[in-house]
Amino acid sequence: MPTMTLIQAINSALDEEMGRDERVMLLGEDVGKRGGVFLATEGLQQKYGPDRVIDSPLSEAAILGAAVGLAAHGMRPVAEIQFADYVFPGIDQLFSQAAKLRYRSGGQFTAPMVVRMPTGGGVKGGHHHSQSPEAHFAHTAGLKVVVVSTPYDTKGLLKAAIRNDDPVVFMEPKRLYRAVKEEVPSDDYLIPIGKAAVRREGSDITLVSYGGPMVETLRAAEEMAAAGVDPEVIDLRTVMPWDKETVLNSVAKTGRLLMISEAPRMASVASEVTATVSEELFDQLLAPPLRVTGFDTPYPLAQDKLYMPTVTRILNAAKRLLDY
Amino acid sequence: MVQEKIRFQPFSPEPIRLVDEQGHWIAPFEHGLSPEQLQRFYRDMLAARILDEKLVILIRTGKTSFIAPHAGHEGAQVAIAHALQRGHDWLFPYYRDMGLVLAMEVPLVEVFGQTLGNAADPAKGRQMPSHPGSKSLNIFTVCSAIASHVPPAAGAAISMKLRGTGQVAICTFGDGATSEGDWHAGINFAAVQGAPAVFVCENNRYAISVNISRQTASENIAVKAHAYGIPGYYVDGLDVMASYFVMKEAIERARAGHGPSLVELVVHRFGAHSSADDDSRYRSREELAAERQQDPLLRYQRFLEKEGLWDAQWANELRIELAKEQEAALQEALQAGEPDPLQMFDDVYAARPWHLEEQRRLVMDELQS
Ligand SMILES: Cc1ncc(C[n+]2csc(CCOP(=O)(O)OP(=O)(O)O)c2C)c(N)n1
Ligand SMILES: [Mg+2]
Repeated sequence: MPTMTLIQAINSALDEEMGRDERVMLLGEDVGKRGGVFLATEGLQQKYGPDRVIDSPLSEAAILGAAVGLAAHGMRPVAEIQFADYVFPGIDQLFSQAAKLRYRSGGQFTAPMVVRMPTGGGVKGGHHHSQSPEAHFAHTAGLKVVVVSTPYDTKGLLKAAIRNDDPVVFMEPKRLYRAVKEEVPSDDYLIPIGKAAVRREGSDITLVSYGGPMVETLRAAEEMAAAGVDPEVIDLRTVMPWDKETVLNSVAKTGRLLMISEAPRMASVASEVTATVSEELFDQLLAPPLRVTGFDTPYPLAQDKLYMPTVTRILNAAKRLLDY
Repeated sequence: MVQEKIRFQPFSPEPIRLVDEQGHWIAPFEHGLSPEQLQRFYRDMLAARILDEKLVILIRTGKTSFIAPHAGHEGAQVAIAHALQRGHDWLFPYYRDMGLVLAMEVPLVEVFGQTLGNAADPAKGRQMPSHPGSKSLNIFTVCSAIASHVPPAAGAAISMKLRGTGQVAICTFGDGATSEGDWHAGINFAAVQGAPAVFVCENNRYAISVNISRQTASENIAVKAHAYGIPGYYVDGLDVMASYFVMKEAIERARAGHGPSLVELVVHRFGAHSSADDDSRYRSREELAAERQQDPLLRYQRFLEKEGLWDAQWANELRIELAKEQEAALQEALQAGEPDPLQMFDDVYAARPWHLEEQRRLVMDELQS
């Protein structure tokens, strides 16, 4: 089995889907000749031609709006937004058009499209190359939202997103693009959207995270295990619809929930998960669910690392839960 | 009377050019500029080039995290800086404008402080390098999001008109920016309001890897002005004199109450898009080598030589002096150290709400333990 980085897994999923279904096509800034600024689409324009891999004008509204029209008309577009931070000029197309097309037409029209975007901080990217805007998408009815953290999942989830009949926002933590390599099958496999992964089984405390901070969460879990605590670790993978069943089953077992995300805390995915657990498992909790999140500031360059949920911050919060 | 000063026709089929490749003045009017002013253009262009070289070294030595090279844009940028009224007019620049900001006389220590993202940066290290700004010089702090500053420039210009301040808003951007909806929305609004704005495209014909032929089907950028009912000027941006005189006319036209214009300055981008880019993936080395022959500094040097205002010794001494000045400022900026980490929680709002107080306390406790 070949080993791949996360970025190679994306490239492989796109390549396989384009080979399998000629309706699948790519559009975005610099995705063609250059193969994308992170090289996610490297080689695909050479292989499938400039009509199926379009170097678009510099307009996110054009990219996302055209994807809606392409999808409604029968294509399966995969749009790339160069950085999640730059989705905002195209938000009207995503929120007013893509998200609501099925609903406003009573199910007559649909927009089966994928919107890929590098997300998250930790790369000295300052305000506009570091944000984690998944809550905006999760808050908008009609969009599904995936945030990946491993090469294996990335390939299976991206293929599933392309075959999904709803618009899927597919978020790729850029700091993980080349951070890890793992075995990724070269044959066809899908990972269902909406299903979390239990990364580590344990009985004392449930750590739930997704995307970039899975790294710190797993590291914190190791340190906890070394100190005699037995944590369970869940990777949500999809944040809308998130896998309530897996999370509730785990917290029912451990009685303690720590939710970790690098997105700002206010009105976040972390808030949603902890609120739901409080509502549904109130009488089984041994301590109030806690959140370790990014701060409610714009993402600062100078405090690039401090902004992120650090291992120390996770361990401190876990200690509060365990000592409660 | 502004009418008497009109020298340039909008929508020319060929780029407006006043100095040819060999350095000949080919305009039908006299430039009327003093030797000091002419040499000043050269000085600022050379300073911009030296800064570009210095930034490349800072990135190679890991002292900074990002640069957007401006080499090839110097003539255009210096022309803009000299055509506007410094400290009076407002400038809305973009990230490739370090040469422009330098010519605006932003203190060098601030320029390097912003580049280092340390305590010498008046913006507290909040943004990536190449994102300068200065309240005292009316330079609206750069935002990475392409073309997002175009509607704000229109708004500031509308305010200038409402309040009768006699100022002009000058807004710069690249060729790629002209595809964004905000670009069109901003120019249209300024045009309808007859606001004193000048929109300036530094057209280097690339948006990262995307050639202008994939960006627009228009014959050039200037013609887009037609759709908004304002003049569009198509200018050789490698010619600092043409850029200066056209900018001057557009700015004074706006100041006199005749509304906005669009100025397209066609330049070259000698470097990669940024320190994160490898441009050999999408443009040939031959193409680039040919462009480098059309260096705006070289053309202007030839012009000055003919005016008797340039010789190699003067230029060498100037280079040494400018390099020294920049090195001293860099050393001073390097001394400044890291900004206070707790500044992360300042300036989000005028005053910190409770949740930011809580988050600040968490970090403070961490830093103390
Ligand atoms: C809204 C938005 N989308 C995408 C980007 C990423 N990006 C940064 S620079 C750039 C190309 C800009 O090209 P151009 O406007 O021609 O300016 P140049 O860099 O050539 O001076 C792109 C796509 C961005 N900064 N903002
Ligand atoms: Mg450009």
